[in-house]
Amino acid sequence: MGGIGGDVTPPKAGGDPRGDPAPPGRPERWGVWGAISGPPIFLLVALVAAPTFLSSHARSLTVAVLADVCLASAWALFSGPTGYLSLATGAFFGAGAYAAALTIGYLAWPLPVVAGAAVGAMLALVVGALALRLRGPYFAIFTFGLAELAKHVLIWYETRVTGTVGRLLLAPPGPWTLYYTVLGLAVLVVAVAVALRKTSWGYALIAIGADEERAETLGIDTTRVKVLTFALSAAFIAASGAAMAPRWTYLDPQVFNPLVSFQTVIMALVGGATSVAGPVLGAVFIGLASEVLLLQFRYVYMLALGLTLIAVVLFVPEGLAAGARRLRGRRRSPAS
Amino acid sequence: MSAQIALDVMIGGVITGGLYALIALGLNLQYGLMRILNVAHGEFLMLGAYLTYALHVSLGVNPLLTIVATGPAALGVGLLLHRTLYAPVLGERATPQAVESRSLLLSFGILFVAQNAALLVWSADLRGYSYLSTPLRLLGAPFGANRVVAAVVALAVGVSFYAFLRRSLVGKAVRALMQDPDGARLVGVDVRRVHAFCFGVGVAMSAVAGSLISMAFELTPFIGLGYTVTALVVIILGGLGNVLGSLVGGILLGVVETAAVYLVEYDIRPIVSYGVLSLILLLKPSGLLGR
Repeated sequence: MGGIGGDVTPPKAGGDPRGDPAPPGRPERWGVWGAISGPPIFLLVALVAAPTFLSSHARSLTVAVLADVCLASAWALFSGPTGYLSLATGAFFGAGAYAAALTIGYLAWPLPVVAGAAVGAMLALVVGALALRLRGPYFAIFTFGLAELAKHVLIWYETRVTGTVGRLLLAPPGPWTLYYTVLGLAVLVVAVAVALRKTSWGYALIAIGADEERAETLGIDTTRVKVLTFALSAAFIAASGAAMAPRWTYLDPQVFNPLVSFQTVIMALVGGATSVAGPVLGAVFIGLASEVLLLQFRYVYMLALGLTLIAVVLFVPEGLAAGARRLRGRRRSPAS
Repeated sequence: MSAQIALDVMIGGVITGGLYALIALGLNLQYGLMRILNVAHGEFLMLGAYLTYALHVSLGVNPLLTIVATGPAALGVGLLLHRTLYAPVLGERATPQAVESRSLLLSFGILFVAQNAALLVWSADLRGYSYLSTPLRLLGAPFGANRVVAAVVALAVGVSFYAFLRRSLVGKAVRALMQDPDGARLVGVDVRRVHAFCFGVGVAMSAVAGSLISMAFELTPFIGLGYTVTALVVIILGGLGNVLGSLVGGILLGVVETAAVYLVEYDIRPIVSYGVLSLILLLKPSGLLGR
């Protein structure tokens, strides 16, 4: 957080790339964060003061986009530096939502979110211990298969054993409470992402992504680093699910939605998964598009999402944040 | 379980598994050879099925004959996709991991495009037609004639492609590339052309399987992903790059699923396929039959 606070004073520098306060010797991937760390503070102040000017429609749009920021940033905590493509986001999101639905009648408000985070972290510890020895696409398929397995088992269990198809969420907290919950989560995830990059833990993650055997040889306990980071990422994803659950008064197993997994990956990659700003930008960009278009033009939106993904993979594989940086031509070589 | 029921389950399983084998064979050509994990594989099946549906319903073409149209059309689409999307990604000197994840993302993009294009054209309603729906008795148990015909044609296509791979020079090049890409390059195999050929044939097999499936099952634009997962289970069961393994694995999965549906209920089917997939990945990531 220190880095963000330090850059608040020269706000006019933020808009002009040439006036970037980052000294030239700093590693390139901090560049975008340095360049936009003035505006984020203004944005944050505006978001905190939102109840004074936001209409209820704009509020629910903002909550949805903030939740996307949570998901994309939390996903990128683990999958960004390590390159392990997790498609379990939908499963963790759904587990968090279910945890909130089951505890909301017994616990005071922020606690169901904590319960969701705990459930997500525990699930991820189990899944991670099992799956993280799988490499490349195997890991992606396994996480995807697991999410679908969880959904179908839950559907089967709910219809055959408990005889219900869904759960009602009674007495949800007020809309502004939810707003601040999601906003708080988003700030927390981004802060963790910033902090993580400056620790040896963060470097260990990058080392694992670059060459796992070598990282192991260098004395990094790769299994521990991977499993714990996966759990941290899942905790935030599940907390987002828990915080979003009260927005639907009714919850059924379809909340384990593979679209959540795919859309999160796309948001993070469109922005650029290896930077802090990338997933945030991607989530705002695609999150807004999805909120505006999904209801009215569902199929056209999804089709455009597919085309966007293809275009990003072909033309800006390192993501929009890095692509924009390259266009500005401030520094040549892309981040490793 | 009495002997008659066991026999019914076996025959039913082989009928289901014949289609699985053909679908998996196509995916295995793409993954085993190029490491393209084509999650849009089932979407080509869905498009093939809709093409047959459209040809049969609007022009009255015999569904079985539409294979002559869906196969080559899909081959063309596959060649085009390989040339415009996958070849640039495969051709770069990136790490195998990067190639795998980028081609996976490309396939996700294709999946979104194909599925929603189909939704725009045909809507989400169930579509279907009746063809050869008279029951056929096989060793005492009745099966829909359309399902039997579909399975027989699927297995015939699969086995003849296997024979083609074993006998022809092109097949030799494909097998050489699967075993040792560098060695194959050294003896002059044109890697790019073999890749294009295999990707196209993989897409064509999926579309032909779709044409066959449309004869016996109702269609929605969402059927693709389920078949992709089935194909993944089969190629992981039979071993990546192992063509014979796909044929055997497909029939094996068909029998396991049919038995599970018989013993519990129809809703158990997705749980079985995802469960088998997760278990195999955990226990033996190289596949039951190896490479």
